[in-house]
Amino acid sequence: MTNLTVVELSRLQFALTALYHFLFVPLTLGLSVILAAMETVYVITGKPIYKDMTQFWGKLFGINFALGVATGLTMEFEFGTNWSMYSHFVGDVFGTPLAIEGLMAFFLESTFVGLMIFGWDRLSRPAHLAVTYLVALGSNLSALWILIANGFMQYPVGASFDPDTMRMQFTSLYDLIFSEDAQAKFVHTSIAGFVCAAMFVMGISAYYLLGKRHRAFAARSFRVAALFGLISTLAVITLGDALGRSDYLLQQTKIAAIEGLWHTTRPPYEPWKLVALPDDATQSDVFSIGLPYVLTPLVTHSFTEPIPGIIELEQEARPKIVNGIQAVLALQDYARTRSPEALAAFRKNEDDMGYGLLAERYAPGQDLAAITRADLPGVVNHTARATIPNVFVEFWSFRIMMALGFAFLAVFAFAAYFSLRNRLERHPWILWLAMLSIPLPVLASEFGWIVAENGRQPWTVFGWLPTFQSASTHSVGYLLFSLIGFALIYTCFIAAELYLMFRYARIGPATGAPAETPHAAGPMAAGTSGYAGKPWQ
Amino acid sequence: MELYVALKVIWAFLLGVLLTGLAVMVGMDMGVGIMLRFVGRSDLERRAALNAIGPHWDGNQVWFVLGGGAIFAAFPTLYATSFSTFYVVMILLLFSMILRPLAFEYRSKLDAGRWRATWDWAFLVSGAVPMFVFGAAFGNVLQGVGFHFTWDGQYFQDESFIWYVLNPFAILCGLMSVALSLYQGGTMLVMRTEQPIAARARRIAVAGGLIAALLFAIGGIWVSLMKGFVFTAPVDPAMAATPLNGPSVARQAGAWLGNFHAHPALWAIPAAGFLGMIAGPLALRAGFAVLGWWLGALASVGTIFTVGVAMFPFLMPSTTAPAQSLTVWNASGSAYNLTWMLVFALIFTPAIIAYTGWAFRVMRGRVKTDSIAHDEHSY
Amino acid sequence: MKTFITFVALALILALALFIAVIAGDDGPWYFAWLVGTTMIVLIAAAGAVLLETQSQSGESEF
Repeated sequence: MTNLTVVELSRLQFALTALYHFLFVPLTLGLSVILAAMETVYVITGKPIYKDMTQFWGKLFGINFALGVATGLTMEFEFGTNWSMYSHFVGDVFGTPLAIEGLMAFFLESTFVGLMIFGWDRLSRPAHLAVTYLVALGSNLSALWILIANGFMQYPVGASFDPDTMRMQFTSLYDLIFSEDAQAKFVHTSIAGFVCAAMFVMGISAYYLLGKRHRAFAARSFRVAALFGLISTLAVITLGDALGRSDYLLQQTKIAAIEGLWHTTRPPYEPWKLVALPDDATQSDVFSIGLPYVLTPLVTHSFTEPIPGIIELEQEARPKIVNGIQAVLALQDYARTRSPEALAAFRKNEDDMGYGLLAERYAPGQDLAAITRADLPGVVNHTARATIPNVFVEFWSFRIMMALGFAFLAVFAFAAYFSLRNRLERHPWILWLAMLSIPLPVLASEFGWIVAENGRQPWTVFGWLPTFQSASTHSVGYLLFSLIGFALIYTCFIAAELYLMFRYARIGPATGAPAETPHAAGPMAAGTSGYAGKPWQ
Repeated sequence: MELYVALKVIWAFLLGVLLTGLAVMVGMDMGVGIMLRFVGRSDLERRAALNAIGPHWDGNQVWFVLGGGAIFAAFPTLYATSFSTFYVVMILLLFSMILRPLAFEYRSKLDAGRWRATWDWAFLVSGAVPMFVFGAAFGNVLQGVGFHFTWDGQYFQDESFIWYVLNPFAILCGLMSVALSLYQGGTMLVMRTEQPIAARARRIAVAGGLIAALLFAIGGIWVSLMKGFVFTAPVDPAMAATPLNGPSVARQAGAWLGNFHAHPALWAIPAAGFLGMIAGPLALRAGFAVLGWWLGALASVGTIFTVGVAMFPFLMPSTTAPAQSLTVWNASGSAYNLTWMLVFALIFTPAIIAYTGWAFRVMRGRVKTDSIAHDEHSY
Repeated sequence: MKTFITFVALALILALALFIAVIAGDDGPWYFAWLVGTTMIVLIAAAGAVLLETQSQSGESEF
């Protein structure tokens, strides 16, 4: 019998460690690419100030990178330590992208990050530039494989359930890699990281400009980051729209919860709820204010397609639950007897097996065989209700993420405009705005994670394996031990990280950078004047 | 041999290669971390020791991540069951392991005594605990672990976790693993640092190698006497990968020597391990540090493959439900999955070896103690 | 000889690029968009910096 407290604690631990990991990852994804862009300018123009920029932002990259790596170790092992049934059930297909990630991406990134930091005086300029690009490529390839794995949880393709091994067996690598959900999710997440990094660089540069320090350095960093961020934000909004449409096609319960749709829509009038207070208990809004005619084209990219609502989706789930219970009972029989009759009975309803597993939670004693005719409607009611994720959380996480995204567009647009016109210092408000916005893209990313993963509930593998069946059979004590330990260690980590970040950002780039940079010596220029005093030259 | 069986065997072998890579490369960095407070008396000396592995620790650590990923994909049921049954020790390993990236990156970024001393202790803990747990895991698996499965493939733990850290054989294996990592780390410092750090590191490395040899000998005798596991009915290696309907398995004293008796040539593997542990310290004393490093690697290969060969095809036998013991045959991924993983491994492993070698070559040479003080990029 | 090797290397990269474009164009439109988009983002950001150098030389910028 599954201990529900252990499941909830396991979820809490996974959510906290994943959200924590995700504080650092977006910055790594984006900053590595910005470093590559800056160093490109250095190699093309030969101006040493761009080398200073690459090295200074590289140092902050290193502080952030260490925490990304450390907390990533936790994630790699947590599937095994806390989600044994999940790991057993999908390891054959889900483990593969993780292993490939290590082989193809993480090795690349980690080996070259050492050369990027230490190799300045040991590598030629083009070779060092190549190393920086490989770090950027490695970190983004890492994200690609992780999100391919995540894409499988959201929209399981490329595998099928095998009753002989009691797990999903891998059938198509091609389908897995080119899964529509994985694609949309990768581009959206990676580019969201670009936005985080652009805001980070722009905000800290704004801080120097406000203090009239390192002005040449800051103006250049600001320019690069503002343009980088502006296009990235445009892309992230477009790609978010694509992801929403793929959810509409593949995960209807998620999109219904995001938009707070209790009933199937009647296009074209249907309003898009701008503000609402959805109440999960009564399945209705306490109040809502919407923009008419907006919802249908926004989600479906048409004026006529209806979007299924929550109550209708629950109705659709009911027959699946009844069939699913039959499938699980047949599977149980097959596990014991290996009889062809049991297998045939299972095959008849196998597509609904997940709903049967979900129903176990509401069966008497979590035993489907114990359900009587009188119990059945109650079990089906509870299970149908459980197929819908928490609407309040989904609705508001999505709106916060989206509002922030559009706010970034405005900030970057003004920042890029004033930077291109060289009028930044005459408009300190944009500098203040940029500086204060530094943490917001990371916050938006966190809400994005919540939208994606809360919206997947109650499943770990959408439609196949319920979350409550996925956890390891630990005792509450085990979970308390690990949760308290993670809380303590991670708190110390973030304190140390923020302290160092603030300190190094305050100190600023290496001193001695002349205000007037020497004239460009052209591509591949050897030697740089005025920097001979530095030990790494 | 059927293709699926060949794939299972290849992946069992590759698992051994990955664990060896972990023992050599991560073990080396861990060893440096453990001895940091002892080889470096001043802050500059400690920084010199850290910078000897500074450009490479991150790449080396990927062996650890890759080990996790490969077990997950190639032996999903083993990953699910072993990590969960060893929960408390795995979490302790994680807690200590995640200190390391920060210790490297943060230690020298502040010039405060307390700050640096704290991270030096973090290096000690994050080197010793994971290596001990790594070795102890081998010890526990050799003795068998108490677990069983229900019909749906969910595992249940049948014994207390206290046993995993307190049983004498596991402690012996854990200590041996620490000793080998001290040897490997010390050898790296002999190659990459100046006096007097190199001389201190050499003393620790020599002691580590010899202690490892002693513990390996004791462990060998112990294993030959302990109860191993053996199939009592014929088993089909090409079976569908599930532990739920395995053939009967018995526990017998000395069963772990069965493979060696059947194929006497296999004795070469533990012999190679011994050779590494004895000849390595001798080579170090004679001043052949590079040779010593490779002999240390040989010692790790010998140790891990000795365990693998002794247990084959068992991966994690169960004491409470021996018929549900996890083996190479019943815990692996599907043929399709193993094939694709092999393709990726064949493409990317040569690439990894090539660029790792290049990175080591670019950063070759001794770390100059006085140059660190002026270089703001160093750890 | 060196020219020949360069030629072959570039030809191989071109073939790989075409291969990626065909695969991605068919089945991975968003992956393709990422490749093109990221390249564009990097180039535009770098061009912005180069523009600043030009502005600086012509006196439009005081930096």
